[in-house]
Amino acid sequence: MQAELERELIRMIKAGDTRFYEPLVRAYEPSGLRLAVAMMGNAEDAKDALQDAFVKTFNSLHRFDLSRPFGPWFFQILRNQCRDMLRSRKARFKVEPLDDRLEERAEDSELGPEQAHQRTTAKETLWKGLEQIGDEHREILVLKELQGFRYSEIAQILDIPEGTVASRLYHARHALKGALILLGVEYA
Amino acid sequence: MNERYSPDDLMRFLDGEMSPDERARVEVEIGRSTELQRELAIYQGMRSDFLSLSFHPAEYHRSVWDQVNATVARPIGWLLIVVGITVWTAYGAYVFSASPLDPWEKLATGAVVIGVLTLLTSVIWERYREWGTDPYKDVYR
Repeated sequence: MQAELERELIRMIKAGDTRFYEPLVRAYEPSGLRLAVAMMGNAEDAKDALQDAFVKTFNSLHRFDLSRPFGPWFFQILRNQCRDMLRSRKARFKVEPLDDRLEERAEDSELGPEQAHQRTTAKETLWKGLEQIGDEHREILVLKELQGFRYSEIAQILDIPEGTVASRLYHARHALKGALILLGVEYA
Repeated sequence: MNERYSPDDLMRFLDGEMSPDERARVEVEIGRSTELQRELAIYQGMRSDFLSLSFHPAEYHRSVWDQVNATVARPIGWLLIVVGITVWTAYGAYVFSASPLDPWEKLATGAVVIGVLTLLTSVIWERYREWGTDPYKDVYR
């Protein structure tokens, strides 16, 4: 969604017309769900976190600075919501069966049976590796590798200095590499 | 790891967060160091593995908008109900007090209304206090 359109929608919502919140929710739902599933480990908790994050975002919109982009601000709220839920007794990072978690990509269906099996195994291993590293490592990896955010955006979402992002990413990737090696992945 | 380049530099190189000049210098260093090449290849491999993940639940089709809308619209509904009841109550009290009824009829009716409202308020307050300390309020069936 274009930044100017987002700002206009937020202006309308701030003016009291809640109908204009729907396009924002629908625009950020897919990427929000991706982040939430990766942080929570399963779709059910991810949907709860996403829903709560959208409600909290709506309730905080009056404080939102229109000169800043909406996306990183929303993802910061969502990330905090996921962390709160993970800390609470309601949810733990729990992995559900692969089919519920991942959808098959178009190119997967074009692979032969052996290649498809290898791809599935690689996905499972990566997922298990993510499960074993801490929340902090997982969230920064997801923001970079799955969401494709720039360092400046990651810094804003995680509320850390931009200069720290590279260091945090290194430690996260290093931790994931270690976890994958323990799971039997061989690096030449 | 090469002494002239920190792990942070390798990350910034991998993620395309360097200026063209910095990038060119790092490329030269990578070309000289097999250790850096290996490290970079590992992280690039992990990146391509990440790209094979979609993280979309296969059965996810329903938007959360309906639930979000119901939640954000609820306070507005409550506000309208409270405002409406307050206005009607004030108007009713005015009409009642200005009516040509005997004073004892007004007193008796007023006592009944105030009594009911007092009981209702005490019950609501009690439930509210219980809700605040209920250890099972977050437990779902």
